Amino acid sequence: MKFQRDVYIAGVGETDFKRQKTDFDALGRQAAFQAIKSSNIDKPDIIQSAYVGNATNGLVTGQTVFTSLGMCGHMPIINVESACSAGGMSVYCAIKDVATGLTDISIGVGTENHSMHRASGSAFSPAMTDIETMHGAVMTGKYALRARRYMYETGATIEDLALITVKNRKHAANNPHAWFKGDISVEEVVNSRMVAYPLTLQQCCGISDGAGAVVVCTKEMIKKLGIEKPVKVNGSVVRSGPYHNRPRDITADDITEATAEQLYEESGIGPEDVDILEVHDAFTIAELLYYECLGLCKKGDGLKFLRDGQATYGGQCVVSPRGGMLSYGHPIGASGAAMIASQVKQLRGECNGYQVDPIPKIAMTHVTGGGLSGTEHAACTMHMLSAAW
Amino acid sequence: MAETKKKGKKKEKEPDIVFFHPDLFEVPEDGSAPFLKGYRCKKCNQIDFPKISPCPNCWGEEFEMVALSREGTVYSATDIYIGQAGMETPYVFGYVDLPEDLRIFAQFEADVETINCGDKVEVVEGIIRMNNDGLPLKSYKFKKINE
Ligand SMILES: [Zn+2]
Repeated sequence: MKFQRDVYIAGVGETDFKRQKTDFDALGRQAAFQAIKSSNIDKPDIIQSAYVGNATNGLVTGQTVFTSLGMCGHMPIINVESACSAGGMSVYCAIKDVATGLTDISIGVGTENHSMHRASGSAFSPAMTDIETMHGAVMTGKYALRARRYMYETGATIEDLALITVKNRKHAANNPHAWFKGDISVEEVVNSRMVAYPLTLQQCCGISDGAGAVVVCTKEMIKKLGIEKPVKVNGSVVRSGPYHNRPRDITADDITEATAEQLYEESGIGPEDVDILEVHDAFTIAELLYYECLGLCKKGDGLKFLRDGQATYGGQCVVSPRGGMLSYGHPIGASGAAMIASQVKQLRGECNGYQVDPIPKIAMTHVTGGGLSGTEHAACTMHMLSAAW
Repeated sequence: MAETKKKGKKKEKEPDIVFFHPDLFEVPEDGSAPFLKGYRCKKCNQIDFPKISPCPNCWGEEFEMVALSREGTVYSATDIYIGQAGMETPYVFGYVDLPEDLRIFAQFEADVETINCGDKVEVVEGIIRMNNDGLPLKSYKFKKINE
C-alpha cells in the first residue's frame, strides 16, 4: 500500500505455540495485552481500531478477545479471515488505518486454537465445494506436488529438503515460544512417517495453537508513549492469488513473486538488504522455493543457497530465526501476526538465547493463505520492518 | 433446491453414484471413450475447464462445449498417505497437462510409486471416494498409457 505518513510499531506480543487447552480468545487476549503493555499503554481507551485474524474459531472472534480488556465500545473491531494469511492481514489493516490518517494508533491480532475445535487429526483441505477437494486434495499433497516437480527439475533429494527442518529446529532450540525445537538429524526427518511423498511428518508444520499481536502508530504517538526502540514499517502488502487453469511453474509462486516485487518497490529495500526473514515454511519445500521467489538467490539456486549456509547464522539472510512454522506449528489465523511480533523482538535484541548476532537492522515477513483450485494461494501478505532508533 | 424433503425418511440407496457435477465429464452411453468437457467462450474463444461463468477473460456468458483431448502429460504427482478425513489411503493425485493449454487436477488410477513427472496418461472413469452414504462416487481419473 502507498503510505500517506510514516507508521511505526510500538509493541508486540506472542504466546507460546503448542497444543493448548486455552481457547483462541484467551490466547488472543494474552498476546494483545502483552503488545499493549509493551507499548506503554495503561488505559483501555487509547487504541482506536482493532483487527483480529482468525480462520476456524467462529463468529465475532475479535470482540470475544477484547471484551474483558474493556476495549469494546469505543472503537471498531473488524474480524479478518483469509486462512493462513489472516493474522498478517489484520496487521496490514491496522497499518492501513494509521498510514491513511484514519487513526493514530491501532492493533492487529492473529489468534487460533485448532486443538479445541478439531476432533480429527486429518490433513487440512480447502472447502468441500471446491472441485479439487472433491477429488481428494489436501494441502500437504499440493505442496508435495511442488516438491516432486522441484526434485524432477533440479535433482534435489528428500535429504536436501530435510535440511530445512534441521536448520529451523536448531534456530528454535532456545526459543521458549517454539514447540518442536533442538537437534534433529536428517535421518530422523527422512525416516519419520510418510504423509505425502516426498514430505514426511517432520517436514510438515504441526497443528498448534497460539496468538500474536502488533500495536502500530504514528511517529508522534511513539514519542507520546515514550517508546525507546520503535520499529519502522517500511512496507506492507496484501495481494490476492491470480486464477489460472493453465500449465504454470509451481516451483515458482506467482503470488509470492508479485507481492515481493511490490514490497521491494514500495519500501525501497531490496532482498540483498534483508537481514532476517520469516517465511511461510509450512512444509520444507516451501521455504526452499521461496528463497528463489523472494529473490534471495537466483531461480534454481535455492538448494545451493541452503547448502552454503546462506539461510542461517552468518549467512546472507537468517531465514526463520524464531524456528519458523516447522518449529512453532501453524495455528493458521495466528502465524502471520506472530512472525511480525518475533521479528520486532529480533530487531530490538530481545531474543535471549536465540538472538541473531549481530543484531539485525532489517526484517521481512511472508505468509501466504489458503488453497483454492486454480490458484497457488488465495492470499499473500508481506511486511518490511527496520530498526528506527 | 426448491423442493423440501421430509427429514427422517430413508431414501432408497442407489447402487451407482456419478460425480456431483455433470458439466465436468461425459461417459457416453454407447460405450465410446469418456472425455472431459471443456467450455469455449463464444465471445473470445478461450477454453476453460472447469466451466466458469461469466468468462473471466471477457465476461461473455455463452459457451460451447468441446470434448477435451483424452491424453495428457503428468506435470507432477504424489502419493497420499494421510488424506482427507474418511478417504481411504494411500491414493495418488497430481496435475495433468492437456494439449488445450489446460491443467487438470485429478486422482490417478494407479498404485503408489508408479506415477512420475512426464508420464503419458489418459482419462478414464473411476471411483474417487465414498459419498456420505458410503457408496462409491465416480468421476474422472487418469491412467498411465501402455500399462
Ligand atoms: Zn471470453
